[in-house]
Parts: sequence; structure tokens; C-alpha cells
Amino acid sequence: MSANDEISNWELIKNGILKENTIFKLALSLCPAIAVTTKLKDGFFMGLAVVFVQVMVNLTVSAMRKFIHPRIRLPIFMLIISGWVTIVNLLMDALVPDVYKNVGLYIQLIVAFASILARAEMFASKNKVVPSMFDGIGMGLGFLVALIFVSTFREIVGNGSILGYSLFGAKPLLILVLPAGGFFAVGLLMALFNWLYARYGTRGHAG
Amino acid sequence: MTGKDIVKIMLNLIVIYVIGGLILAIVHANTSPVRYQNKINFENQALKSLLPDSEHMEIEKLGDWKIHDKAAKYWVAKKDGSAVAYIVQSFGKGYSSYINTLIAVDKDFKVVKVKILDQKETPGLGDVIEEDDFTNRLIGKDVEHLKVLKTETTDFVQAVTGSTVSSRAVTDDAVRNGVAFIRDKMKEGGPGNVRK
Repeated sequence: MSANDEISNWELIKNGILKENTIFKLALSLCPAIAVTTKLKDGFFMGLAVVFVQVMVNLTVSAMRKFIHPRIRLPIFMLIISGWVTIVNLLMDALVPDVYKNVGLYIQLIVAFASILARAEMFASKNKVVPSMFDGIGMGLGFLVALIFVSTFREIVGNGSILGYSLFGAKPLLILVLPAGGFFAVGLLMALFNWLYARYGTRGHAG
Repeated sequence: MTGKDIVKIMLNLIVIYVIGGLILAIVHANTSPVRYQNKINFENQALKSLLPDSEHMEIEKLGDWKIHDKAAKYWVAKKDGSAVAYIVQSFGKGYSSYINTLIAVDKDFKVVKVKILDQKETPGLGDVIEEDDFTNRLIGKDVEHLKVLKTETTDFVQAVTGSTVSSRAVTDDAVRNGVAFIRDKMKEGGPGNVRK
């Protein structure tokens, strides 16, 4: 319970999106970031699912943090995560079946996301419920934002379309929608993100 | 580890399993009818979308068949009691998946429309076979002309650049076998005389 108590909720959200962005800064969970980002719609729903799971897991872990015996905390976290992922999985199958057809496999993989377990262990298990919720929102949004950037970029440049609507009638750089190109896309955007962040993001925090 | 720890750990696990199990059971019970209905709606819509003027037709399941060891179905579309078209489900072995297709044929067993129900081909390359741009190339073809060529052609089916394997899987495998099957099946029973 160190300095975290003094950090405002807004700071927690900003931290997740910028300073500790799952994809661009921590380079975690890259597998789904590449697999489901060939189209903006898929990337968006995948991101939403992650926001939901991250928030719910943080809330649950934080609420139960005094009750959970430290020796079995990791298995318990895994149970909590897989429970919430199963719920999202069932809900998406029922509510957005056409998206689920494309991202279903990766929704189930959220169970194994390093970022989700990491936040449960590093933040939610040591902090109160409300900050944990905002930390979850921040980390989840960071992932969602990154996925939106990557999938917009790949859909426009790789597939020549946006949200399924054809833009140029051609595919400018088809390699970007292939798995190998996914790494290039993430790498390029990561470089851009970090360049911008280094230039503008740290303003006022000089030292 | 003391006895107290053991009791606490047991309690932890019991509570998590019971609460988690309950929540999952509730969600499952509430979503499973919706998911089941989605699948049925999806199939019905797919069948309807294959035929023009399908509101005035009755689509009736005729039976099951097997291709690539996968169970597929076939239907007849009737207008005023007489068969006007057939629909057959078929599978083609693609680059990275079996491509699940629905094919509508007219009474001369020429393709009316093809719809890809499910495929896991390479995103961005192989999956363009799902688009009308490709499936329209199959329209009007009979068994003899359901053949993919890499050159420009209208008599046969032109492959999608970069997706030859997937184009072939749909055309030469799924659709041609499907059409051949339904043709042979229906001819056994005589023209227009559907065997039940």
C-alpha cells in the first residue's frame, strides 16, 4: 500500500493507456494483438472483451484480497480469470455471433493473457476495490486503444478498406494483413507511439 | 503450514468453486437458448439468401450425405409443390481449413449461388473466397465447368490472385462434388421426381 494510495483515478487510467500500455510499452499479449487485428471490427470487440475481463478480474481479486490465502493466490486468480473469460465467451457467442466467429478462439485465450494476471497480482491484490477498478479500466483501455490503432492501420493499408468498406478498390500492402506483417505493423506503431510519448508524453515530468 | 492454513485454503477453494460455478451456470442457462436459436436462424437465413424469390418457396430437407468424412445436408426448394431448385451443403479442403459451403443449383444443376458458411483460411488472402466477387464467378457453371484456371476466363472459374488453393478448394472440391452429388442423387429418381 505504498504510493499507490495517493494516485488519482484519472492517473490510473492514464497509466494504463500511456505509461504502461500493454502492447506498446510492456509488449505483452502480442499474440492476440496480431491474430485478431486484420479488421477494425474484430480488434475493437476483442479489446472490449479484454476491458471487461480486466475490470471484473481486478474487482473480484481486490474484493477478495483479504480472504485469499497467499499460498494459493495464483491458482485462485487463474480460476477467477477463467470464470470471467468463460462468461464473456458465452455472452459474445449469444450477442454478437458474427464477430464471435472470427475472434472466438482468442477470447478463450484471454485466460492466458500475461497482462491480466500481472495486474491482478501486482495491483488488485494489494489495493482497494475502487483504485483496482480504475487500474483495470486503464489497462483494458490501453489494450483496446492499441488494438484499434493496429487494426485500423492494418485494415486500411493492408486490406484497403475500413470497417469492411472498400477504400481504394485495391490492397496497397497486402503483407500487413498476414501474420508476419502483423509484427511489422505492431513494430511500426510501437516505434511511433514511443517516439510521440518520448517527445510529448513526459512533458512536465522532467527530471 | 498450520492446520489453520489448510482450513483456510480449503475454504478459499470451496467458496471460489461454488460461487464461480453458480455464476457460470446462470450465464450458461440464460445464453444457451439464444445461442441455439442463433445457429438455427443463421442456417435458415443462409438457405433463404441463396435463392431469389425465396419467400414464395418452401425449403425442405431431403437428407444427409458425407464428404471428407464430414456430415452435410441437402434440401429441395419447392414452389407450388414442384421442385425448382436444390441446395446442397458441401466441404472443400482448403489451405488451412475445411471450407463449409452451401450451393444452390437450378433444375439443370447449374449453380445459382454459392455461400461460404465457415472457413479458416489465411486472413486477408484466402478468406477473400467468402466475398461475392469470387462466389459470383461460380454462378451459371455446371459440373464440367466448375474448374479453377489461373488465367483469365469466363467459361471456367478464375482463381483469385494469391488464393489459388482456396479458390480450388471451393470450386473443384466443395462445389463440384456437391453439384455432382445432388445431380446423381436426383437423376436416380428421375427428373423432377424427388425420392423421399
